[in-house]
Amino acid sequence: MSFIPLAHALASRQDLPIPAWLFAWAASIVLIASFFALSAAWRKPQFEDEHRRPLGERLSAALLGLPAQIVCGAIGVFLLGVAIYAGLHGTEAPDRNFALTFLFVTCWLGFPFFSAIFGDLFRPFNPWRAIGRAAGGTFAAIAGQRPTHLPYPERLGRWPAAIGLLAVVWLEVVYGASGGVAVGLDPHAAALAALIYSVYTLAMMAVFGVEAWCERGETFSVYFGMFGRLGIFGARDGRLYRRRPFSAATSWATVPGSAAVVIASIATTSFDGAQEGAFKSAIESTFEWFVDRGIGLTASLRLTDTVFILLCFAGVALVYNLGVRGMRTVPGAPGFKKLSAGFAHTLIPIALAYLVAHYFSLFVFQEQAQFGYLLSDPLGTGHTDLFGTVNNEVDYNFLSANAIWYVQVAALVVGHVIGLMLAHDRALVYWPDYRKATASQYWMLAVMVAFTCFGLYLLSVANG
Amino acid sequence: MLPLAHVGHYLWVLYVIPIAIVVAAIVRNTVAQRRLAREHAEEEARR
Repeated sequence: MSFIPLAHALASRQDLPIPAWLFAWAASIVLIASFFALSAAWRKPQFEDEHRRPLGERLSAALLGLPAQIVCGAIGVFLLGVAIYAGLHGTEAPDRNFALTFLFVTCWLGFPFFSAIFGDLFRPFNPWRAIGRAAGGTFAAIAGQRPTHLPYPERLGRWPAAIGLLAVVWLEVVYGASGGVAVGLDPHAAALAALIYSVYTLAMMAVFGVEAWCERGETFSVYFGMFGRLGIFGARDGRLYRRRPFSAATSWATVPGSAAVVIASIATTSFDGAQEGAFKSAIESTFEWFVDRGIGLTASLRLTDTVFILLCFAGVALVYNLGVRGMRTVPGAPGFKKLSAGFAHTLIPIALAYLVAHYFSLFVFQEQAQFGYLLSDPLGTGHTDLFGTVNNEVDYNFLSANAIWYVQVAALVVGHVIGLMLAHDRALVYWPDYRKATASQYWMLAVMVAFTCFGLYLLSVANG
Repeated sequence: MLPLAHVGHYLWVLYVIPIAIVVAAIVRNTVAQRRLAREHAEEEARR
């Protein structure tokens, strides 16, 4: 191949034994084979029941009791406080300030990754929930009655969380896309945003109640909780239990706007992966178009990226809705709304797969910084060395380019096969005749193949 | 030397092919099933 003058995009940092596009073909074959295996061997729903097995009472009491709730809540509030303080008073260098890596890497990526295995880990550490509950408890002690709240509007559903998710990613990758480091946002702006979000969240909790807002409107609770539905541990009525993996996801999307949350997750990750690769030339053309209209450079850049984020959201929603429309053609299909909500949870493993594929290496590298020099010198001023690790460096040889690529491919394939499995399982609920259920899933197979190939294309261009 | 300097811009085509094959197979299958159902209904009506 070396004698062919391939000027752009084909020279990869990896040294793969076969071209990157062949991985997309292989992944598609895996999905098609999985589809036929599911059709042949899976004829009864397996995930509708969580199959809960309660854990020991003492363990539940220790992990879910009031002392544990207070300690976990206090840790959450303390770490949020440290991040805001570091953002406001620390160095302006994004990669040396604790705030950005903590908020946008450790929390933003860490909670989805680990919640998907162990269940919702954010809920006990949620700083706003802790403050809201403490405030409610104090009010009850002083006034002698529980605070009263307005009923949460059902139609609003999880839409505030979906919009909040788009806003968080917009802040990180659009507003802050200029630093050229892992997270390019100005730490001061991030801390200010965290403060504003805290005020907004506490106000909403005061209006609608802490649990109602966390369940539907609070972006981080909804987003991390969504991935937590894939995990194997849950809690109910003060008791911890083990459940069948992925089974809790089947009851997640019953609230309106849930599909928008998971679609926003896939769309924002896609945009972040594509902006320097697949969409680069289109973004540049649109940017120049805005500049030619007399709009300032920074405003044009942000406007362009905003347009592309919204286009990504519309594109992912379109592919999913085409899949749902396809299912509607099978005799006995429920209405479009019911189908759309009924299959939204099948996108959760795909959202996780996209997250792992795009940010796995960033997480591994930045966590070395987090637990090295950032923890010892949170403000990044060079004057403190709390744990003696201030001189630790990030080892970029920890993962090779090939290893990252194989993790990315594996994440995408496994995520989509799980998505296919959940979709097949839900189809058996709507079409008890397995032949009709299989026919309905042709369309979801097309959706899964499309997302897999698109994801691999984004990665191959970004890595090129 | 082959003039392939800008072939990289069309690499996305290779990623679309599997999607096109799956969608084509689904459309073909759906059309065939509808035709079978229609023929079956016509046969029933004739009887």
